Amino acid sequence: MIAKVDYQNVNDRKPDGLKTDGTPYRVLVVDDSMFVVKQIGQILTSEGFEIVGTAVDGSEALEKYKELHPNVDLVTMDITMPKVDGVTALEQILAFDKEARIIMISALGKQDLVKKALMIGAKNYIVKPLDRKKVLERVVQCLK
Amino acid sequence: MSAVDTEVQKEGSHRPDEGREKIDFKMITFSLGGREYGIDIMKVKEISKIDRFTYVPNGSPFLRGVYNLRGEIIPIIDFRIMFHLPLKPIEAGKAENVLILNTEDQVMGVIVDSIDKVIGVSSQRVKPAHPLFHDINVQYLKGIIEYGSSLYIVLDVDRILGIAEERQAEQPAAAAEAPAVAAGLEAPAFAPSGEEESADTLELGFIRDTLSAFRGFVVSDLNLDWVKARLGEWRDLRSSEGRGVQLAEPNEADDFLEPFYSPYTGELWGEAYAREIEELLPDVSGGTLSAWNPGCGKGYESYSFAALLDRHYHGKRIKVWANDNDLLGISMAPTLAFHEEAIPPLLAPFVVKTRNGFGFKQELKDSILFEYHDILHPNPFPEVDLVLARDILSFFNPVQQQALVQLFRSKLRVGGILFIGSNERLVDSGWREVRKGGVCGFERLADEEPSNKEQVT
Amino acid sequence: MRVEYINPFVEATFSILKEVLNTKVERGELYLKPTSHPVLGVAAIVGLAGDVEGRVLFDMARETAISIASIMNGEELTEFDELGKATIAELANMITAQAVTKLHDLGFRFDLTPPALITGINMEVSSPNVEALIVPVTLPQGKLEINVAIRERA
Repeated sequence: MIAKVDYQNVNDRKPDGLKTDGTPYRVLVVDDSMFVVKQIGQILTSEGFEIVGTAVDGSEALEKYKELHPNVDLVTMDITMPKVDGVTALEQILAFDKEARIIMISALGKQDLVKKALMIGAKNYIVKPLDRKKVLERVVQCLK
Repeated sequence: MSAVDTEVQKEGSHRPDEGREKIDFKMITFSLGGREYGIDIMKVKEISKIDRFTYVPNGSPFLRGVYNLRGEIIPIIDFRIMFHLPLKPIEAGKAENVLILNTEDQVMGVIVDSIDKVIGVSSQRVKPAHPLFHDINVQYLKGIIEYGSSLYIVLDVDRILGIAEERQAEQPAAAAEAPAVAAGLEAPAFAPSGEEESADTLELGFIRDTLSAFRGFVVSDLNLDWVKARLGEWRDLRSSEGRGVQLAEPNEADDFLEPFYSPYTGELWGEAYAREIEELLPDVSGGTLSAWNPGCGKGYESYSFAALLDRHYHGKRIKVWANDNDLLGISMAPTLAFHEEAIPPLLAPFVVKTRNGFGFKQELKDSILFEYHDILHPNPFPEVDLVLARDILSFFNPVQQQALVQLFRSKLRVGGILFIGSNERLVDSGWREVRKGGVCGFERLADEEPSNKEQVT
Repeated sequence: MRVEYINPFVEATFSILKEVLNTKVERGELYLKPTSHPVLGVAAIVGLAGDVEGRVLFDMARETAISIASIMNGEELTEFDELGKATIAELANMITAQAVTKLHDLGFRFDLTPPALITGINMEVSSPNVEALIVPVTLPQGKLEINVAIRERA
């Protein structure tokens, strides 16, 4: 899909990325693919979310989360990453902050890991290729 | 043209079947001044090696002389001189390569450097010759054609000979005396050293070409006996229909080949045939029996073979590697289904009812691994006890056939058996023929053993 | 290559490319190549493990890679930079992942390794002793070959 960035809302629907007080939700994007980071970034920022940090593997993810906490509202976590994978990072972040809201991003074929992640405490998951509508739906649901 | 090899144009073996265009043009190829040329075979009466011409005074420079071809005096033209091409020094007494050409009103001999082979091509592939790119004036050319890795320049014989006559006629009148002069001379004491072609071998040659072009069937020692016998039958059949022997289209090639195929091709095996194969199965120690089935097509023979092996080697684990390079055919094999009437006794114990009729039990299916594979490519199969390769060797050229037989040998353990087509015959040391009724197998002998005489059971 | 593996790869290629590029995807006839083959300029490789060993290779010319990456990013890339490479690697990953999922459904246990991207001129990539299935694909952006070499674990 073409992740076109649209900065204008054509109606007076509130952008998904804004909290009731008008400030943006703050997101930490974790993925080893520069392309996916960019895609997620584009989708979210077009709806007003703010990307406050990125990480390329699970250990960097934990580091960044600790640094940014409590100014992170959501983490998008890729499952397959080098060094420390997404499921392990999920566990570690939840150990640090049991209220952390983490949504898993996975390529098809990793169902077992996705299930495991959900059992451990991930809020939801999104499957690649990333569909703008699906991403926003799931993210919004996650933040409720 | 039995003195010369015959080949037919085919696309490379890795590509899907797209090269079988209509072969409507056969050329005899030869070289001249370092380049390759071709002439329509319909214009060529015969080929010869001639080492003595009668020199004709006042002839054109390209007219080397005349020659007595079984009573007919024909002019001998040197193409190399005619086209101003580099000449090899003419050694006295050395035989020249001569094509005897037959145009509408004239028979002539033309000298070339060497005569190569007959090739069959599609006339669509002949491209027009560019005026600048050839040594020979473009008016003499029909065009150029690519074949294999060479480029052949196709000569327009009628034009050339027409022009030759014109130029010859320009010579002083002494040329007209030439035939008379020649007639007065002693006919050369030798006979042309080209072979006398019998109609028979010529016919066989044409059948060979067309079987290869239309169906990829290669006539070789492997199946020559069958082909010759079949040709005899075919000739009788066709003459009773008032038709010639020649195969004009792919379905005529199919008709010709129909009796070639082994019993139960494309079908589940009947009991009598299965029993004959069973008698030739070797003893196997160990808990697993493995077999390789190249050219399995839609899988009928694989399932039949696996069922037979299971029955014969009760208790052993059966593994059959079945492959084919026909994707469409083999992709149906894992889920082969059929109707009740078609189930022979051999397979009855393995059949289950499914939504679409009947299929095979999972245990039989699990014993066969169907792979889309080209057997000319490297294969990772381990050593096997049996190879079932019915009617596939005949569809490879002799060099590939050799390589495949070697491959079978390297994959088979000593004492293992190779089954080839019913009308195929393996002529190779290192194998011992074992026979039961109509079925013949080949036992793989150990490497040091000399080939033993036939064992008939 | 095992017959049952073929369709999942073909279907995954087709479906992901259509979804991701939103363009006409034409598949050529499948065929087999013996081991080594030269690379067209850019190759994304995803390793396979589990019931089998082998790899899937996505082979295309540099220009094609740039075109595809541009579309996927929604912006015109002028050279094949880090972003372009990450994009093509991700494409390879998605296609292979979808194929592997279908194979799981058929009862085959496959696993994938993260994609690697290689570029160069006249490179040879060879898998000893395994022939490759080629799925040729024609896109408006150019030609792409999916090259699958899988060997059963005995």
